[in-house]
Amino acid sequence: MHSLLTTLLFQIGNAAGQTVAAPSPWAPKLSTFITLSFLLFILGVAGVLTRRNIIIIFMSIELILNAVNLNMIAFSRYWQLTGGGNANTGQIFTIFIIVVAAAEAAIGLGIVIAMYRNRETVSIDEIDLLKW
Amino acid sequence: MLGQGIETWVFYALAFTALIMAIFVVTARSAVHSALFLISTLVTVSGLFLLLGAEFVMGAQILVYVGGVMVLFLFVIMLVNVKEEEKESTRIFTRQYIPAVVLVFLLGGAFLFSMSRLRNEHDFLNEAESKMAQAPAPAGSPAVDAGKNSKNTQTLGEALYNQAALPFEVASVLLLVAIVGSVLLARGRKQEKIFD
Repeated sequence: MHSLLTTLLFQIGNAAGQTVAAPSPWAPKLSTFITLSFLLFILGVAGVLTRRNIIIIFMSIELILNAVNLNMIAFSRYWQLTGGGNANTGQIFTIFIIVVAAAEAAIGLGIVIAMYRNRETVSIDEIDLLKW
Repeated sequence: MLGQGIETWVFYALAFTALIMAIFVVTARSAVHSALFLISTLVTVSGLFLLLGAEFVMGAQILVYVGGVMVLFLFVIMLVNVKEEEKESTRIFTRQYIPAVVLVFLLGGAFLFSMSRLRNEHDFLNEAESKMAQAPAPAGSPAVDAGKNSKNTQTLGEALYNQAALPFEVASVLLLVAIVGSVLLARGRKQEKIFD
């Protein structure tokens, strides 16, 4: 509680334009971003594994890809601040991931439409021809 | 400078919004609600991109994901009959709880393991943090040249055409294949008969 209060005071002091020597322990670090992207990734994985609607499974895959994008951008920022490597690499990767995600969504939804036309269902419980 | 405190709060606000919306994406009963929650997750994550100084990626995310992919999703939900799912009696989850829980815990263990490795050599991060604090940019989040025009798009474009010229061309071929493939997959019976 005490540290929370000091953090708050630091924040207010910063906002008021005073110079504060110690960086706030709550300031988002690399590990904060990695944790956030990990949680988004886990939610996407849980969605892929447990939902029945194939469209929502696709949306969970988009969530996973976005979590990875966030991770890439965080590392790109890290390199930018520490001066290691080429800081643009992460952002270039992110752009290619977005391209591949768009292509994947187009193809996947085409498959969903074709499957719905043949089987009249979008539930993965009923699309089990390849299940052993 | 006005920066650090406010950006920290903006980060936490965006992060919690993104997480809560992501939970709703996975648990919402209606696919349309799921898509709308996913749109808000993508918008908040693009806000995080902006916070990290990646303006171009933020714009690409909004344009491609929110403007393109999610509209495609909504169209497909419109074409596909999901009335059955919206009844309260229908299950929305599969019975794969056990593999899901096991995989989530395995991933969590891997994550905690790697993060503990990171903390063991904590100078790695702390030095970086102190370096960040000395630099004109405050730690973690803010724009490097506040007030100046950001050169992010320019440098990114140069890097894209210099370092990554071949993948760029391959990506364009991939998009072409995706267009042709989705048209082929989504054609109706009548069109198939005409072509075959």
